[in-house]
Amino acid sequence: MNAKSARAILVLSAIAMAMVISPAVVSYPTGIQGVKESGCNCHGATTSSDVVPSIAGLPDQYNYSETYEITVSFVGGPANPSNANQGGFNLWVSDGELSPADATVQSYGANEVSHTEAGNDQTSWTLTWVSPSSDRNVEFVLHTNSVNGNADGANGGSSGDMWNRLTAKVSPPVLVLEEADPFVVLSTLIVVSAILLAFTLAYVFYRTNPESFTWDYFAPWIADWLTTTDHKKVGTLYFVAGLFFLGVGGIMAMMIRIQLAVPGNDFLTQDQYNQFFTLHGTTMIFLAAMPLINGFANWMVPLQIGAPDLALPRLNAMSFWLQPVGALLIFTGVFSGSGADTGWTGYAPYVVSETAHMGTTMWVAGQIMLVASSTLTGINFLTTIAVMRAPGMGWLQMPLFTWSILIANLMLFLSIPAFGIGLIQVYLDRVIGTAFYDVSAGGDPLLWSHLFWYFGHPEVYVVIVPAFGVISEVIATSARRSIFGYRSMVYAMAGIGVVSFIVYGHHMFTSGMSPTLRFVTMLTTMLVAVPTGIKIFNWLKTMHGGSLVYRTHTLWTLGFLVTFTLGGISGMFFPSIAMDLHLHESYFVVAHFHYVLVGGTVFGFYAAIYYWFPKMSGRMMDERLGVLHFLVGFISYNALFWPMHRLGVWGMARRHHTYFVTTEEAMGALPIEATGWNMFISVAAFIFFFSNFIMVANMIKTLIRGEKAPPDPWGGWSFEWMTTSPPPTPSFDPHNLPILSDANEHVANEPGTLSKLFNRLMVSEEEAEEASH
Amino acid sequence: MISILVSVFTFSWLYHHSFWYRSEDADNYDNPDEIAVGVFPKHNDDMRLEVAWTIAPFILIVWLTYVSWVPLDAVWSEIGEDGYHGDECEDGEFSNNHLDNQGIVTSECYHVIEITGKQWVWQFDCLDLSTEICDTGSDNIEVYGTVPLLSLKTGETYLARMMSEDVTHAPWFLGLGVKEDVHYSPETTLWLPISENVDDQIILCTEYCGDAHSVMAGKLVVHQ
Repeated sequence: MNAKSARAILVLSAIAMAMVISPAVVSYPTGIQGVKESGCNCHGATTSSDVVPSIAGLPDQYNYSETYEITVSFVGGPANPSNANQGGFNLWVSDGELSPADATVQSYGANEVSHTEAGNDQTSWTLTWVSPSSDRNVEFVLHTNSVNGNADGANGGSSGDMWNRLTAKVSPPVLVLEEADPFVVLSTLIVVSAILLAFTLAYVFYRTNPESFTWDYFAPWIADWLTTTDHKKVGTLYFVAGLFFLGVGGIMAMMIRIQLAVPGNDFLTQDQYNQFFTLHGTTMIFLAAMPLINGFANWMVPLQIGAPDLALPRLNAMSFWLQPVGALLIFTGVFSGSGADTGWTGYAPYVVSETAHMGTTMWVAGQIMLVASSTLTGINFLTTIAVMRAPGMGWLQMPLFTWSILIANLMLFLSIPAFGIGLIQVYLDRVIGTAFYDVSAGGDPLLWSHLFWYFGHPEVYVVIVPAFGVISEVIATSARRSIFGYRSMVYAMAGIGVVSFIVYGHHMFTSGMSPTLRFVTMLTTMLVAVPTGIKIFNWLKTMHGGSLVYRTHTLWTLGFLVTFTLGGISGMFFPSIAMDLHLHESYFVVAHFHYVLVGGTVFGFYAAIYYWFPKMSGRMMDERLGVLHFLVGFISYNALFWPMHRLGVWGMARRHHTYFVTTEEAMGALPIEATGWNMFISVAAFIFFFSNFIMVANMIKTLIRGEKAPPDPWGGWSFEWMTTSPPPTPSFDPHNLPILSDANEHVANEPGTLSKLFNRLMVSEEEAEEASH
Repeated sequence: MISILVSVFTFSWLYHHSFWYRSEDADNYDNPDEIAVGVFPKHNDDMRLEVAWTIAPFILIVWLTYVSWVPLDAVWSEIGEDGYHGDECEDGEFSNNHLDNQGIVTSECYHVIEITGKQWVWQFDCLDLSTEICDTGSDNIEVYGTVPLLSLKTGETYLARMMSEDVTHAPWFLGLGVKEDVHYSPETTLWLPISENVDDQIILCTEYCGDAHSVMAGKLVVHQ
């Protein structure tokens, strides 16, 4: 090791040591605040057994609302009556109310008291505690520090001081079970879900081939799944991961709905609620919706364009495996009880402030991994679709699902760098103290909003456009018709892709952004209705003159048309700025985006699952269970999200851990009816959540004993229906690729404008051959 | 009304086609578009229809934009512009608000107040205004406890200059139906036209600001 390295290590060690021992709480001599978790570390790094704290006057079992006089004290350590100071204390209680009994004690709210400056010269303090009026298991946490009185720094600051902690519990008159920590509940449910998933996979593995249920067979089988680069297997991995996180995000949603079922509820604290809605949003968008899209894209795009695999299979596997790593980072904070609490939007400057939780740093780091994953995925799909289409398949002969994936990835590819840059800036601000968003150092909070929404709004379309592709495929196949207006469907999707980049300002109408910019984005946002309207009318017209066969995927598609239209209409209220000023950040917004993202994206996924599962598994799903899933899911979904519109108009704000109804009508706060509606929503939420298990049960049943699926069970035209169910590997013989014919022969062999443009950009085979010589 | 018309039109169409074109026999059906595996099907389009439902929504949104534009000028009226709220009131001068039949308030002049947000409390400052025009204090709201109070006079218009001492906040005047973000920098502003039909109301924070965001409340009291 050279001298330079040694110096660097020395400096870094000194910095690390300084960070560890630096005081993290408000302390000496005027009281200690906020030390319940950290302890009095300004009086030493760890607890010392030389100091013995005690609490006198506490009953074993309290009486309701009774006042108890308590004495807290300590013995031991360097405290001595001859010192300038002797010590201090901090007492925290989980319930009831603490109050000072004299001037030596001060209050930091109902739950926390500490010594005053006047009380710094003693080892015993008196205070009162009013017990709760209901049955609670009450916990006391006492910290006492014993000091040697040299805290003026003249003789070494707080060196030689010692401190220790004492916890005590008091029982209620009627014994109650300990309340579970919501984080423990969440963590338990996630672990149980993961174990159930593993058991389910093992059970399906066993039932499909009992003979091979041995380690000798299982080890290479699992190794194959962990190292696969086959687009179908990577697609299945995405699919399983997406469904798992859909469940995890759903569990968080259920805990949020328990909290909001009644006004003033304390199931979740503010702090916990903030983390739950942050992770619910992040999980659903990045760890559920995106992987599910990638699952279908991985499976279907090569099959639809007649390619043996994706263009860059190993890159594809890497894209997937970045996701679980990112997920672990995102959830790190939750398992430590200090998860990100910023909302999925992570607005600056809060996201870089000291009040944001420590877990925010890992949450940001995890999202940077997901940005990398999405970028690699974008490269892969754009390349594959551009160069690996089967002979005869021009740009305007691609199946609409493939078109939707192309446009979604193009949007993602162009928007996600802005998000990545913003995340890296936030990460640097939080970790090494740069000042991109530190407002006191001149940082710009609106920069984050612009970077985030430049990505965030196209991202909304990134997750909805693939659902458009699915609906186009399903409705045409179910109606036995060619999709109405194929070309206008492509142009409409492309139009949505283009417009998505110039509408994001509508998320910032109340941000103080320039009124001119706000007006421009009001216009552009309204414009989104045009291509979206074209798509809805084209889907409806596709049914005209058709022969609609009702299958489960047809039902979900018709359901999609209802809910997505409603979501689109409610979305038209926001660009009307005068309305947005009231509705912004209210439950009307929550209702709108769930109508679009669940009623649109998730219903599209459900249609896709029922439509393509026979192709993926080689087994037909149970239609009766499918219809039951649709009926329960569709009704409970609307019962869940529709009333939220009303709550938003009444004035229920989102991201508030609770709400209060009032009989003071003139106050303009929520009316008493809001209580009933919230309970109704919570009940509907649980029914919707559990309705999804009908689909999971259907999938398991199908895999075990489903009827064998033919290559083309629904009568589709694209290449995926040409292969066996499930398809072989490679999906198509690279030396004998399928050739697409065209029922419109007069235009089939004419290269379109896009083909001509792209052909000019590509190196021709002749030129490539010449170059190789 | 427009939303209801669009919904009725779309859902009637969906309802009709879902049942009218329902398959009688899943295995036997006409195949007008020659759908077969590996064959791109015949185009099923109609240029006139497609153009029609491109232009019709376009006209509708142009009209909606125009309608939405009308109150926008009042919401973001430039400070000191005579169009809606005039210049800042001199001592003893009153706004004499007028509410037109479109619900837009115009005033002869306005008064300046300051609103400051900090984790997790609002601060109101009437500056040099007399207590007849503006007053502050605190009050107890059912369940929110003690909250800061802003008392404004009916018939007057106020321009709130807003700053934050830390992260971004946004006061939502529930009864007025307006909100605007409050930053550490730059300063933002919000018009508060107190017309005859404005009542006492709660003020919430609607830009997420951390732990106690949901109880960062205030109260607007309207006095005569």
